[in-house]
Amino acid sequence: MSLLGKSLTRIDALGKVTGETLYPGDINMPDQAYMKILFAGRPHAIIKTIDTSAAEALDAVIAVFLAKDVPVNEYGMMLKDQPVLCGPGSEKPFAERVRFVGDQVAVVVAESVAIAAQACELIQVEFADLPVVSDPLVSMQEDAELLFPDKESNVFIDYHILRGDVEKAFAEADVVVESEYRTPAQEHAFLAPESGLGYIDEDGRVTVAVAGQWAHEEQDAIAHALGLPLDEVRVIHPAIGGAFGGREDMSIQIALALAAWRLQQRGINRPIKIIWSREESIIGHHKRHPYIIRSRWGATKDGDITAADVEVIADGGAYACTSTKVLGNATLMCTGPYDIPNVKVDSYGVYTNNIPSGAFRGFGGPQGAFAAETQMNKLAQELGMDPVELRMRNVAQDDTVMSTNSTLPKGVTLDKVIESCALAAGWNNGIAGWQRSGESAWPPKITGKTKNHIKRGIGFAAAFKNIGFSFGYPERSWAKIELHGETEIEKVVLHHAGSDVGQGAHTVFKQMAAEAAGVPVDKVEMRLADSAGKEDSGSASASRMTFMAGNSIKGAGEAALEKWRNEERPAIAEFTYRPPATTPFAPKTGESNPNFAYGYVAEAVAVEVDVETGHVNILDVICANDVGKAINPQQITGQIEGAVVQASGYTILENFVQQDGIVKTPHLSTYLIPTVLDVPDRVESIILEYPDEVGPWGVRGMAEMPYLPFAPAVIAAVKDAIGVWFDEFPLTPERVLRGLGEI
Amino acid sequence: MKPFEHHSPNSLEQAFDLITQDDNNSYYYAGGTDINLQLKSGILAAESLISLKNLSELKGIEYKENNGLKLGALTTLRELQRTKTIYNHYPALSQAAGLMASEQIRSFATLGGNLCNAAPSADLAPPLIALGAIATISSKFGEHKVPIEDFFLGPGETVLEEGEILMQITVPPPNGETLFIKHTPRMFMDISVVCIAIRLLMNNGICNEIRIALGAVAPVPLRAVNAEAELAAQPFSSNNISRAAQIAAEECSPINDIRGTAAYRRRMIEVLVRRGLSSLNENYSKV
Repeated sequence: MSLLGKSLTRIDALGKVTGETLYPGDINMPDQAYMKILFAGRPHAIIKTIDTSAAEALDAVIAVFLAKDVPVNEYGMMLKDQPVLCGPGSEKPFAERVRFVGDQVAVVVAESVAIAAQACELIQVEFADLPVVSDPLVSMQEDAELLFPDKESNVFIDYHILRGDVEKAFAEADVVVESEYRTPAQEHAFLAPESGLGYIDEDGRVTVAVAGQWAHEEQDAIAHALGLPLDEVRVIHPAIGGAFGGREDMSIQIALALAAWRLQQRGINRPIKIIWSREESIIGHHKRHPYIIRSRWGATKDGDITAADVEVIADGGAYACTSTKVLGNATLMCTGPYDIPNVKVDSYGVYTNNIPSGAFRGFGGPQGAFAAETQMNKLAQELGMDPVELRMRNVAQDDTVMSTNSTLPKGVTLDKVIESCALAAGWNNGIAGWQRSGESAWPPKITGKTKNHIKRGIGFAAAFKNIGFSFGYPERSWAKIELHGETEIEKVVLHHAGSDVGQGAHTVFKQMAAEAAGVPVDKVEMRLADSAGKEDSGSASASRMTFMAGNSIKGAGEAALEKWRNEERPAIAEFTYRPPATTPFAPKTGESNPNFAYGYVAEAVAVEVDVETGHVNILDVICANDVGKAINPQQITGQIEGAVVQASGYTILENFVQQDGIVKTPHLSTYLIPTVLDVPDRVESIILEYPDEVGPWGVRGMAEMPYLPFAPAVIAAVKDAIGVWFDEFPLTPERVLRGLGEI
Repeated sequence: MKPFEHHSPNSLEQAFDLITQDDNNSYYYAGGTDINLQLKSGILAAESLISLKNLSELKGIEYKENNGLKLGALTTLRELQRTKTIYNHYPALSQAAGLMASEQIRSFATLGGNLCNAAPSADLAPPLIALGAIATISSKFGEHKVPIEDFFLGPGETVLEEGEILMQITVPPPNGETLFIKHTPRMFMDISVVCIAIRLLMNNGICNEIRIALGAVAPVPLRAVNAEAELAAQPFSSNNISRAAQIAAEECSPINDIRGTAAYRRRMIEVLVRRGLSSLNENYSKV
C-alpha cells in the first residue's frame, strides 16, 4: 500500500484556508520594533554624504544603520558584487555607488512603521549622478560607462560553444532561418511581499524568520556580511507565500540580521519587524532576465538540422545575482533538445542600471526555448514540413551528442512527450510522417456564429530543462530520519531543511518519508524549515526539491532501517545525497557534462486573435510532461496549470517597463498579471512516468518544465491565426496591432 | 505620507464651514479609493481631509419614469452595478460601473468620487455624458447645475470651486439604446486604455438622436460631436458608420503613456465606435 502516486491532501491546506498558518508578516513578537529600508531611488550615482541627524533626532527612532555599520559590506550568490548597504564608509571598493533604484542605502529602526517611514524621508542623501546605462548592447561596448570601475568591462560572464564546422554546414544547407529575438523582464508577483523578523534567539544566535528558498544559503550570506561564524546565525522559514525564484537572492534578510545584531551590541535586545509594500517588493527584488538572442539555423531540405549559430545577450541588471548560471542554461537551451552537429554559441551576461536580473521559474530556459522553438517552427514553415515531424526527425535521444559534445543522461524521453502531446492535439503518424488531420477534435470547434475579426490558430513547442544545479556545482541534499518504537516502528521523525515555498514540497516529503520507512503517513513527524540543527538541503529551485530531497530521504530511510534491523532504538541516520558529478563549460568549446538529470515536456496551444483590438485569447492548452514518477499527481497537475498561467502572463500580458533605469510599472495596476479571466479556458495535463535512472523512485523534477514551451507555442499559434511572426513579446494588444500593420 | 487632520461632518453646513476655515490644502472625499493612493504616493499633501460619508443629502437612488434617475454623489459603483432599475433603464452606466476595479473597490468607490477625481479615463463619465446627465453642485452660497459634459476642465480638474460639493447627478429619462465598451489589455480589473459610450435614438430607421462620448483619449472625457453630426438625421449604413468612427478617432487628442501610444488609442476609438454603432444599429434592426 505504497503512498507514492496518491494525491494525499496537502498537509498545509487546512491551516492556510482557515488563516491559522502564520506567514512571516503575520508573526509578532513582544516588544518588537519596526524597520524600513531606504532605497536609492535613482539608477546610477555616487553617494557623497548621508546625513541622518534629522532622522535620528525623532524621538521614536531607535537607530539608523549605514554602509559603515556592515562589517563585510557585500553579498551575491555567484559574485559578491552587491553592497549590503550603499554609501561611504565601508571597506568594499565602490560601495558608495548606487547602481539601480532599489539599492539599499539606510536601515531605520523605530517604534512604529509610520515613524520609520518618516525618518527615511528625513535622511539627507547627497548624490552625484552618473550616466545611466540601460541598454545591454550599449553597455557591452568598449567605451561604455563602467558600473564597476575596478572591472574591465560591463560584461561579467561569457560562454562559448563551438562544435563541428558551422560555416561549412551553412554553406551546404538548403534552408537558413535567421532571427533576432527579444524576451521581456518579468516580475514574480508572489502573493506575499517580503516580510520578516530579525532577533537574537535563546541561544544568542542572530536569527531571521523570513520567506526564502534556501535557508542555508541565506544563513551563509548573513554570516559573511556580519563577519560571524555560521553557527551564530540562524534562518527560519515560516510559511512562504510563493517564490518562483524571486526569493533565491537576498532582499531583507541581511538588513534584518544587521539591525538585530547591531542593536544588541548597543544593549537593546528587541525583535525587528519589516513588511515590504508591493511597490517595495517590485522595486526591491530581481526580475527575470530580458534577453536578446540572435539565431541562425540551417537545415537540409529533408528537415535535417545541420547548423546553429546563436548569440545570446542577457541583461543582468545592476548585480550578477544568479546570472552566471541563468546564462549557462540559456547557452545550453538556445539550441533546443535536438541533434545539431554543428553549433556555435556565444553568450554574454551584461551589467546595466536596470533592476538586477536573477532566478525565475525556468532559469534561462524559457528564453533559450523561445528562440530554439521559434526557430524550429520557422524552419518547419520554410521547409513546408509539419512542425511535429521536423521535431521528430531531429529529436535528441540517449546516444545524441549535444552541443556540449556530450550525451544527455540516459532515459531521454523527448520523443515520448512530443508523441503524447501531438496525438492528443490531433496529429497522427502516417505514411507521410507526422501530420495533423483537418478533422481533429482538438481544439474544440466554435459553436454559434463566428466573427470575421476573430482568427484562430494552433501552435506546438517542446523543451528540456535540467533538474538540480549544473555546471560542476557540488549538489547535495541532507536528511535525517529517526525511527522510534520497540518491536515495530511507531513514529518516524524526518529532519529536513528544504523549503516549502507553496509548491507542496513538505506534503511530498511526508509521503516519501513514509515510503522510505515503510510506515503509514500518519506515523511521520517532520522537523523542517530551520537552519538550526540541520545540514544543507539546497534550494527550492531548479525543479530539484522532490528529486534531491527524495533521494536524501530515501537514503536516510534505508540507513535508519539498517540500524533498526540491528536493533538500535531509536534508530537514527543521516544521509547526504550527492548526484552524479557535472562539469562546467570548457572555455572555448563549451565541452561539458552540464547536468545530471532532465525533464521533458511538449505543449500544444490553441488561441484566438481579435485582429481589430489585438487581443490574444488562449483557448486551450495540452501539456505532456514526463515527471518520471508522480509522487502526488494532484500536485503535479497543479504545477502544470500554475506554470501555464504564469507563462501566459509572461507571453501575453506582463509588460515590465524600465526607462533609463526607472521602473515605470511599480504597481500591480500598471504591471498587469493575469486574472482568472485571462488564463486559458482549459489545460489538459498529460502526466508521463518514464523513470529517471537516478531519481528517487524514478522521480524527475517538473515544476519549471511546463513553463518553457508555452511562449513559443503561443507565438506559433498566433502566426497560424494571423500570419505574423512575433520575435518579441509580451503580445500586448498594441504589439499585435503593430505586427498586423494596423497602427 | 504626512500627518493630516480628519473630519467627519454630520451636516452639510459643517462640511462647508470646514473648508472655508482651513487653507486650500483641505480636501473633501467620499470612498477614498483615489485620494488614499495620492496621499500615500505623495502626489497630494493634504493638511486636512473631510469625509462626506455622513451627509444624507449626498445619498439615495431614485428613479421615476417621467423625471429619470437621481443619484446621490455617494452612490457606490457597486450600487450602480447592482441596482435593478439602473441596470434595466441605464445599462451602459451599470455596465461601466461593473467593469471598474474589483468588488472590494466598487463597494467603497463612489460616483461623485470618480467624477471629481477627474481622471481622463474615468469610466463613468462617457456614459453620463452620452445620457445627458447633469451635476448639482452646492456651496454655502447656493446651488447650481452643470452638464457632466462641461464638468471636466483637465486631468484632475473640474468646475468645482473651493468649498463646493458635488451633490447629485440627475439623468434624464431613458431615451434610446445605450452602450458602453472598454478596451483594456487585461480582461478585467484594468484601467481603460480607451472607453466609449453611445446613446442612439432611431425613429423609423432614421437617426433621431445620437451621442458619442469618449474616455481616456483627451485631457477630459469628451463628446465626438463631428462624428455625431455625420450620422444625424440619416439611416445607418456600414459606410457612414465607418466614416463616423474615423471622424471620432480624429476628434480625440490622446497621449502616449504607459498604457498605450496615441496612435493605438486613436485606432481603438475607431474600432470601438464602429463596433458600438453597428451593434446599436443591429438592436434597432431587430425590433
